Amino acid sequence: MASGTSIRESAKEMRRLKNEPLLLLAIVAIILFVGFFVVYPVVRVITFPSLQDYAQLFGKARWFKAVKNSLYMTLISTLSCTAVAFLFAYVIARLDVPCKGLFRFVTLLPIVSPPFIVALSYILLFGVQGIVTKGLLGLQVDIYGRLGLWIVQTVTFFPYAYSVIYGVIRSISTNLEYAAYNMGATRWQVFRDVFFPLCRPGIAGGALIAAINVLTDFGNPMMIGGDLALLPTEAYMQISGWYDMKTASVLAVALLVPAIAIFLVNRFWVGKRSYVTITGKEISLNPFPVPQWVKWGLFSLTMLISLFILLVYGTLCYGAFTKAWGYDWSFTLENIQYVFLKGRQIWNSIRYGLLSSLGAAFLAMVLAYIVQKKQVGLNKALDFLAILPGAIPGMFLGIGFVMAFNGKPLELTGTSTIMVLALLFWNIPTCYSAATAGLQQIGNSVEDAALNLGANSFRSFKDVIIPLLKAPFLSGFVLSFLRSVTCLSVVIFLYAPSTTVGTISVMVLVQSGQWGEAAAFTMILIAIAFSVLRLAQYVLGKQGIKLEL
Amino acid sequence: MKKFLSLALTLLMILSLAACGGDSAPKDSGGSPPASGGDSSSASGGKLVVYSALNEDNTIAIADQFKADTGIEIEYISLGGGDAVARVQAEMDNPKADFLVGGSVDLYGPLSEAGAFLEYDSPNNDGLDERFNDPNHFWQGWYMGVLSIIVNQDRFDKELAPKGLNMPETWDDLLDPAYKDVFVWANPTTAGGAYIATACQIFRLGEEGAWTYLKELDKNIHHYYKGAADVISPVATGEFIASIAWGHDSFKTQQEGYPLTLVIPKQTAYEIGGAAIIKGGPNSESAKVFMDWLLTKEAQELSVATSYRYPVRDDVAAPAGLPPLNEVDLVDYDRNQAASMKEAVLEKFEAEIISNRA
Repeated sequence: MASGTSIRESAKEMRRLKNEPLLLLAIVAIILFVGFFVVYPVVRVITFPSLQDYAQLFGKARWFKAVKNSLYMTLISTLSCTAVAFLFAYVIARLDVPCKGLFRFVTLLPIVSPPFIVALSYILLFGVQGIVTKGLLGLQVDIYGRLGLWIVQTVTFFPYAYSVIYGVIRSISTNLEYAAYNMGATRWQVFRDVFFPLCRPGIAGGALIAAINVLTDFGNPMMIGGDLALLPTEAYMQISGWYDMKTASVLAVALLVPAIAIFLVNRFWVGKRSYVTITGKEISLNPFPVPQWVKWGLFSLTMLISLFILLVYGTLCYGAFTKAWGYDWSFTLENIQYVFLKGRQIWNSIRYGLLSSLGAAFLAMVLAYIVQKKQVGLNKALDFLAILPGAIPGMFLGIGFVMAFNGKPLELTGTSTIMVLALLFWNIPTCYSAATAGLQQIGNSVEDAALNLGANSFRSFKDVIIPLLKAPFLSGFVLSFLRSVTCLSVVIFLYAPSTTVGTISVMVLVQSGQWGEAAAFTMILIAIAFSVLRLAQYVLGKQGIKLEL
Repeated sequence: MKKFLSLALTLLMILSLAACGGDSAPKDSGGSPPASGGDSSSASGGKLVVYSALNEDNTIAIADQFKADTGIEIEYISLGGGDAVARVQAEMDNPKADFLVGGSVDLYGPLSEAGAFLEYDSPNNDGLDERFNDPNHFWQGWYMGVLSIIVNQDRFDKELAPKGLNMPETWDDLLDPAYKDVFVWANPTTAGGAYIATACQIFRLGEEGAWTYLKELDKNIHHYYKGAADVISPVATGEFIASIAWGHDSFKTQQEGYPLTLVIPKQTAYEIGGAAIIKGGPNSESAKVFMDWLLTKEAQELSVATSYRYPVRDDVAAPAGLPPLNEVDLVDYDRNQAASMKEAVLEKFEAEIISNRA
């Protein structure tokens, strides 16, 4: 990579672009596109409040407290998410234990479920009157507040860290560890001095992904945060409870600062580790066996957490078939029937999900190709543009889109296009990471050969790179689709009567007390997300490619 | 490989077409004359886009009846009052909707000042109490919501009644230590509805008495939720026993079969539910028809039947199970004062109550 390139060299590289008009055109188009659909909306939100509005962030105790609480919750949740994620990744990647399919399954559930709704399950099971806490164990516990939220956030967001850490662990060759054992190292020494240092980039990358998700989440804190004031909930409530867009924008900007900081750290400190690894290096030897007690101890812990997650989702699923959530447990199909009346919303969810993910995957692939394989003098800037949307809280992006595209120069509000575009740009970092990871595994020599044989950038991209990138393309696409179908924050200010999606319906149902219907809706959305995932795995599996998220 | 790429591209194109199709379909149906409706007023347009802060079922009932009466098709989104206002504000340069309905008129005020609404003085509002009519004709009050105490009847009977407690009747009943940790409320700094309840205490007891009351009440409160309506689900499912909420917000939950009982305490506060025509919306003429329609006897009866909202017309009865409006003891609620003291009250609430908690 061109990390050490001086400005002069950058300029030289840029001049070379004259010979490659197509490449130049692509770069200009991408910069304009991302600038217009990401940077411009963000600038609109930032410039909406006046300086006096910003001053209240420091003047008012409650906003300042929200900042402090948010940072604190993010810190402790990130630590626990990372620990649980490492446990799952290690057990699945390195131990010879049964039930790995189950473990993988539970790491997907929280990723594919819409916000808000799962909290209902937690309260029903572990609340003050919780079925488990009070009914089964006779405990007087209180889920509302820091502790409860900490546990729920850990379970909700560890899967994001898991996929990064797992990807990295899988690609670590066991050969080095065997070498260490052969030289007389103890198991602990090998773990501490060989294995763990190799995992570090994965752990750091995973931690940061978890951190950004915890930081910007507002569904769980709304339901189980108790008296705790956090930035995303306060920002949302300023709009929802006090109709104050200016203050909401100020709080959203306050959220943007740590979010961008986390992403910059991820980029320049941890390095460009992707969190989706599709084809790790072949592991030459089976992992060195660990002592039985360690193995089964870790297995039990993983199993315990898995059962906990299954219980929470099982309750949600059961609730979808009962008359009155948490009160009247008699069986009914009415909730499911209700969802089928809302076919349009479901169809919108699928449609927007597919379109935005396809768009994001294509754009990200081109972007990753240019950044990774072409020295164009702008690599760093392009790289930053590609990951920037990942640092923007979804709600923030949504508000920005409304402000930016409701009139000249481009009027989009109320259309399907704005829904697709917002989701598309929100998904670019996901696809970009996948494409980058894939590209890094393709040696330069393959493409050099094509170039030597007279192909230009476009030709070699089309005939050499694209075929090799099928798997990362699809994995980025599938992950984006899952994110889009279950996304609420980005679209919450963008939908119109004809463009309502499933997650919006879930939120409206939760708000009006129709929890059975909300649970049924959620189940259908999760089923759709899983069907698409399985379909992609089947299609790729037939071609001998393993897709793991 | 080419096959794969072309497949993906074809899919993309089909979906784009589908997306465009989805957009234009409602417009087409909007352009064609309404199937039914011989009413002359409906000739002005066949469609109306409504941002509704009412319950979704309620919106559907209203939309269906309105279509049957006038032939005008309502396209709606159902969203919280604050979200709706945020929408209207964000889209002000280029409105996408014609009508805002539901939510307190307190939230219509700032939008009126900003110029978001079309001035319209409905001929049907002449007989109404003057508090329901905006002197500037930007908004129209068309229902009244009453602040209530909500109680989970099952748990109350099982746990509190044996202690000799009667169902709460006044605000002061809520100070009974028996409610400690089984009572929840919403935080006024995040929920507009909870602020109205706070201001209610100030109008009822005076500044000093109110803060004593609120601090006493705080001792019973398990925690403060973020949104005014967030308290309803925990009380309905029995996670907590009692709270304070808008009667009409609790209606749907009760209909689902939960053991939720509504009590209207003496000296309670109320909200006037608003409706307004959005200036520059695509179907302003239909919007006027809708505004007139909302104030008819039939529409008012429908609204009452599908919610706990009080009608604004004298000739329509109160919601079933609730006392008629003239028997409800309302506090002397001064909207202007409530608005002007808001910032100071919220700061004090934060400093003296909330900050002692989390």
